Amino acid sequence: MKLHRIYAIILRFMYLFRHSLDRLSDAFYWPTLDLLLWGVTSTYFRSYLPQTSQIVLVILGGILLWIIVWRGQYEITIGILEDLWNRNLVNIFVTPLKFSEWITSLVMLGIIKAIMSFSFGLFVAFILYKINIFTLGFYLIPFALLLIITGWWIGFFIAGLILRYGIKIQQLAWTAPWVISPFSAIYYPVSSLPDWAQAIALFIPTSYVFEGAREVIEKGTLDPNKLYISLLLNSTYIILSLIFLKKSFDKVLERGLVKL
Amino acid sequence: MQNNVLEVKNLTKKFGNFTAVDNISFSLKEGEILGLLGPNGAGKTTTIQMLLGVLTPTSGDIKYFDKKLTENREEILEQVNFSSSYTNFPWSLTVKEVLTFISYLYSINERKKRLDKIVEMFKLDSLLRKQIHELSSGQLTKVNLAKAFINFPKVLLLDEPTASLDPDVAKYIRDFLLNQQKEFKVSIILTSHNMAEVEEVSDRVIFINNGKIIADDIPKNLAKSIKTSHVDLLINDGFKKTIELCKEMHVSYKIQGRHIIVDVKEKSIPEFLRDLTNNKIYYDEISIEKPTLEDYFLYIANKTRL
Repeated sequence: MKLHRIYAIILRFMYLFRHSLDRLSDAFYWPTLDLLLWGVTSTYFRSYLPQTSQIVLVILGGILLWIIVWRGQYEITIGILEDLWNRNLVNIFVTPLKFSEWITSLVMLGIIKAIMSFSFGLFVAFILYKINIFTLGFYLIPFALLLIITGWWIGFFIAGLILRYGIKIQQLAWTAPWVISPFSAIYYPVSSLPDWAQAIALFIPTSYVFEGAREVIEKGTLDPNKLYISLLLNSTYIILSLIFLKKSFDKVLERGLVKL
Repeated sequence: MQNNVLEVKNLTKKFGNFTAVDNISFSLKEGEILGLLGPNGAGKTTTIQMLLGVLTPTSGDIKYFDKKLTENREEILEQVNFSSSYTNFPWSLTVKEVLTFISYLYSINERKKRLDKIVEMFKLDSLLRKQIHELSSGQLTKVNLAKAFINFPKVLLLDEPTASLDPDVAKYIRDFLLNQQKEFKVSIILTSHNMAEVEEVSDRVIFINNGKIIADDIPKNLAKSIKTSHVDLLINDGFKKTIELCKEMHVSYKIQGRHIIVDVKEKSIPEFLRDLTNNKIYYDEISIEKPTLEDYFLYIANKTRL
């Protein structure tokens, strides 16, 4: 892997970020709106149900942590879509750029953008509601890592589908991560899901992270098995999704990148 | 003897039952400019895509500098570049940003210096701050070409390099390509719909039709294979009689104002001119145009349509 080539792709998307109102609003506008809406809603609930004192932290913490999943996935799929929309894939793949370098660039962009959006969200949540996600302490680090890995494998899987079927299924780039959100138990415990949904949640790595985060907020402790299971599931899915993405890319090369 | 920088052997590409490129073999020498011609759908673009590694061949070998493209992709593509009208750049980026990010995709020493040189060579100063979507198609073609030279390529694949350019800029680009060929021994494969351009710059021309190479020769020889010349007459008296004579002789003709352009086999020109005199047809001006590469192209294209 050559660092200058990874830097080239990151640079290309950072230039785009500077010029694109769409990408700026994705990074800042929507997280702010979510935090505002759910901050007011949860504050209202707390005023009526005093026994739910942690409700604002639980809900806004869920929103903030979900930003990490979303940004991780979004940068990969939108990155690929941007090059398809601009008919730029051929331009970058007639250079020595390797497939692995391209993917690494998009993954790194996901990290950069997740840090940007997450930090901005933290700031907004603290200013508006005096919510501090750092109450999760050092657990925040494994939580964030597990969440961004989930974002990556969703991103790889959707990117593979987009490469195979083209931009006619581009809507998946925005909708796909939300498919797992009900089973991730972002704002509520898994036990509140119907039985069939609880069975699905067992296979969703993010459900263990959000359950764990609530455990830390409510009890100040964490069952480490939650982290291990989440890591095991994430590792399995990321390997499978990478294989799928590589196979999709090879399939595209059989048809020709120009025809995408 | 010049070395081959590119060797293509038995290259085939099938899309399902359709064979787009059918077992073609050719080579490109160091410092050679090779024109790749053929009617639309002949297999030119498919061939170029395979040469660039963005389309997997069904069978066959592509070797640059004696090394297989499939096994040495990274090393080879450091020394190859291309420019085409069927790709685009990120539309919201400025010209400077595009050239900068692409320069980082190659291992270039003194990157800044190279970028400045490229800007100077292609006279891009006034375009640097413009976003891609603000460029005219001619300006975009210029940026595309500038991009193609960013990595000091030894082999260049150019698809319609002067498309949409004003004649003076197109001329500048042609001279520039010839200069690069002479000075740095850059080898170039180019496709173009401008036959005069291909004739002017190419050392050799490969003609592809239905995925097969049907001719591989210097432009002059291909043009020579067409035995018909164009006799352009400015008729003074006897316009109708000329048309009747053409019909009698079964030769094709084209009317342009008072001019009539008749396609006559080279060896029959004296006989044709004698017949004009015998029929008391008088002309004020006459010019005889030898067959060109365009005539060869039209001949092949018409044959394909039939």
